[in-house]
Amino acid sequence: MSVTATRPARAELEPAPLHRPNKRWTRFILPGFTWFMIFYLALPVFVMILYSFNDIPQERQTPRFWGFTLDWWKNLFGVAGMTEALKVSLTVAPLSALVATALGALLGLSLGRYRFRGKGAINFVIFLAIAVPEIVLGSSLLSMFVLTKVVPLGFSTILLSHISFSIAFVAVTVRARVQGLDRSLEDAAQDLFADPVTTFFKVTLPLIAPSILAGFLLAFVLSLDDFVITNFVSGTTSTFPIWVFGATRIGLPPQVNVMGTLLFAAGILAALANVLVQRRRARR
Amino acid sequence: MAVGGAAETRGPRSRYGRRKQRAGVWLMAPAGVYLAAFLLVPMGMLVYTSLQSGGAFSGRFYFDWNFANYADVIVQYKTQFARSVAYSIAVTLACLLLAYPMMYWIAFYGQRWKSSILMLILVPFFVSYVIRTVQWKFILGDDGLIFGPLKHWGLLPEGFRVLATPFAVIAGITYNYLPFTALPLYVALERIDKSLVEAAKDLYSSKWQAFRRVVWPLSIPGVFAAFLLTFVPATGDYVNATVLGGPGTTMIGNIIQEKFLFEFDYPGAAALSVVLMVAMLILASIYARVLGTEDETLTAAI
Amino acid sequence: MNEREERARTDRLLQEAMRARLSRRAVLRGAGMGVAGVSLASLLAACGGGEPEPETPADIFAGEPGPTVNFANWPLYIDQTKDKDGNVYHPSLRLFEKKYGITVNYEAIIQSNEEFFAKIRPQLQAGDPTGWDIIVITNGRQFNLLKQNGWVYKLDPTKRPNFEENATPFARDPDYDPGNEVSMPWQGGFTGLWYNSEKTNGPVTKLDDLANPDKVGKNSVGMLKSDMPDFVMIQLGIDPATSGPEEWKEAAKWLMMQRESGTVRQYYDQGYIDDVTAGNLSAGMAWSGDIVYYKLWAGYPQLEFVLPEAGSLLWQDNMMIPVGAENPVGALMVMDWYYQPKIAAMVTEWVLYLSPCKGVREQILKDAEQALEDGYKGYANKLYQTAEAEIAFPSDETLAKAKFGTNIMTDEQAEEWDAIFLPISQQ
Repeated sequence: MSVTATRPARAELEPAPLHRPNKRWTRFILPGFTWFMIFYLALPVFVMILYSFNDIPQERQTPRFWGFTLDWWKNLFGVAGMTEALKVSLTVAPLSALVATALGALLGLSLGRYRFRGKGAINFVIFLAIAVPEIVLGSSLLSMFVLTKVVPLGFSTILLSHISFSIAFVAVTVRARVQGLDRSLEDAAQDLFADPVTTFFKVTLPLIAPSILAGFLLAFVLSLDDFVITNFVSGTTSTFPIWVFGATRIGLPPQVNVMGTLLFAAGILAALANVLVQRRRARR
Repeated sequence: MAVGGAAETRGPRSRYGRRKQRAGVWLMAPAGVYLAAFLLVPMGMLVYTSLQSGGAFSGRFYFDWNFANYADVIVQYKTQFARSVAYSIAVTLACLLLAYPMMYWIAFYGQRWKSSILMLILVPFFVSYVIRTVQWKFILGDDGLIFGPLKHWGLLPEGFRVLATPFAVIAGITYNYLPFTALPLYVALERIDKSLVEAAKDLYSSKWQAFRRVVWPLSIPGVFAAFLLTFVPATGDYVNATVLGGPGTTMIGNIIQEKFLFEFDYPGAAALSVVLMVAMLILASIYARVLGTEDETLTAAI
Repeated sequence: MNEREERARTDRLLQEAMRARLSRRAVLRGAGMGVAGVSLASLLAACGGGEPEPETPADIFAGEPGPTVNFANWPLYIDQTKDKDGNVYHPSLRLFEKKYGITVNYEAIIQSNEEFFAKIRPQLQAGDPTGWDIIVITNGRQFNLLKQNGWVYKLDPTKRPNFEENATPFARDPDYDPGNEVSMPWQGGFTGLWYNSEKTNGPVTKLDDLANPDKVGKNSVGMLKSDMPDFVMIQLGIDPATSGPEEWKEAAKWLMMQRESGTVRQYYDQGYIDDVTAGNLSAGMAWSGDIVYYKLWAGYPQLEFVLPEAGSLLWQDNMMIPVGAENPVGALMVMDWYYQPKIAAMVTEWVLYLSPCKGVREQILKDAEQALEDGYKGYANKLYQTAEAEIAFPSDETLAKAKFGTNIMTDEQAEEWDAIFLPISQQ
């Protein structure tokens, strides 16, 4: 009767490696699926890039592929109004995302963890922001702006409207993360540190950082892409989606594809930059 | 000496608890004020408009508690309502099924590539969604990049098409809302403690069991958020039905848009919007109740 | 219909009576009510639309023009070319700018009447400037609302000599704007039939072809939501101008029959041309300039545009000056500028729609001869084709059979019309 008989008969007692048997799933199927989905998501973009080289006889695009040309790349700013519209979009999006993320993250944090009176009401308001059909929110905002006359229709009203509908999306994303967070970590930190503010910055914030980033990206994309609400409150200003949608009525000029390609490339560069940052962080 | 005696000092009515309450309010105040001004006020105007009567040509709309607007639109458009909900459910399921495995892999096996791959998923959405939809029309056209060659080689019947069908509309909405599903899922999955998962794999007989009993319940807040962010706006979508749809795919969003733009029936459009939002609210609370979201997160957190 | 006309007239009388009170209210609003300015009255007024319209001041067109004119128009609706630096500009506008020293900010931002109207309506209702001096709206509901509510200025006939001299008969005094009180057409066009000769079983010549699966196949016809009621009525021999609910129901019956035959692929608001060029459609309704442009200039010779025997739907896009425009004098000058044959020809050569100015065809033929002399044979060829195009220069016969759409002028008419026709595309 040795003491060792009571030990489990398993060969290894050290923690199992991350990659267990059934490697089929983790090595091939799941990653394969993910990369396939990424490709699927990007497919129309690839087609768009291809067609930016399309040598069409006139200025409006059609599905037929005529041949390769660099004309549109050389004459990138040749389309009246498109460049200005793009500039507006690229200014509004990061600004709106920044403000919406700041406000929305705080909101998500407060909702996910604190109980206070009026919480139900705020939850309801957030729900409203997501549920309201864009056309209705757009027209209501327009009526309000025109009525109160505080700001003229244009850049400012676009920005204000974008922030308005983005906050809720950020809040919900952050809240999901906060809800499952282990509070004992923060409670301990708060016992150690003197005030809640330091706790917030040194403990809470890093813990919820991924959700804040996710929220920021979401808000950025929402703003860059928004058409319906922007169309109502923009007055005589044009954003890129508005301009493009207007152009689809008679066919998109190929420069639109070129711009789209550049936007896409910018996004890819950002992703690559992030890879480098992560790699450096891992090394530390 | 703050470390000891935690139990007595933590209740909601204690000074600590009250401080926590105030903290909650302060945190949400900036967003709350902003939303009050730029969301509640327009919504108030919306409800106000929905109770108006009148017409554009007679030159005036006037407020007269016209609840008949609501009755009218519900009766007239129940088919489109039902259709929108059905499409939206299909879309949300599709999005969840597609996004979950992706986010699972990235969250658990992505390691330092995690955020980069996530960005890769989002990058196509930097390009204006109108452009992407037009390109999809090229790709999925009856004689387009995919079906053209397939038909040419006799692999598909001549009359086969994808565009202008309900399938195209659902696929289009799914495509457009995938990031809305993916991000909350990722956020919830990523925070799950890996060692919990490892322990589960050791304890349970199969990987599937480990998933079902440990990972899935922990990810439920994320699933709920993903559901909310996908199902609700998808029901009100109208662009996909316009561009990719055909007769018989009209969604409630199209009705609202047409009421607003073509009929100048602002009270009717407003009433429809309010009904839509209320319906979504009811469905969302039922879903929350079924999932038991609040309780799940408490047990999961312990 | 008599009752409706009376109703409309009574409404208008009431509004005129309120006009006098309005100007005082406007002054009060501007002066006293502060930033938020949301008194219950103004809230109700602006929300409710009970705000009566300002009268066109008698002297709005007197005096000198301002330095800029903001011109909103539809895309690809004006001549366009590139200068040596590769910048796009509009030659016809540049000539105007050179002659008068006035800058014209031309923006092709109107995608559809409905959306543009929805954007400017709250401002017009609140009495605010829209930021535009010239807007271009098709005859139809939005046009009627703008006119009825007094949201566009009445034009001074003495300040538009070119128009008075050169306007074509259909541009002058149309039934939707008698006497051209508030508008001058920019371009017009026909809604007719089109088909892809490679995809249909023989040519499509009449309306019933669009409901015949043997001819056009199933799920391959594109219908235009806004135009189809009027178009069908014309094909059935009804004149929209005198039509009433009985006739509308007839057209609706035909449309339901077509829907049940399975030929319809989609009911379009605007963007049908993509599906035409992609080959997703084999036939349908279309606007004249679109199809002919792709046929002549973009390499799609298999597309054919047809003006049916029974007649076609005529429409015009009209220039108007919204209330609150900064430079109405300049605006009217620009509008009148385009009623000179030389200038109008520059536009038509590029746009291929129906010009409201006389003498354009002769001008194009002259340009074609000039091009031939200069050795631009291909270009000259296209110009000759343009001059011969029925849709740009219709024969008298065609014009006689072309009719404007129904003029909806009251809420009751609108409600009945919508109740009859909307379910067809919304089912």
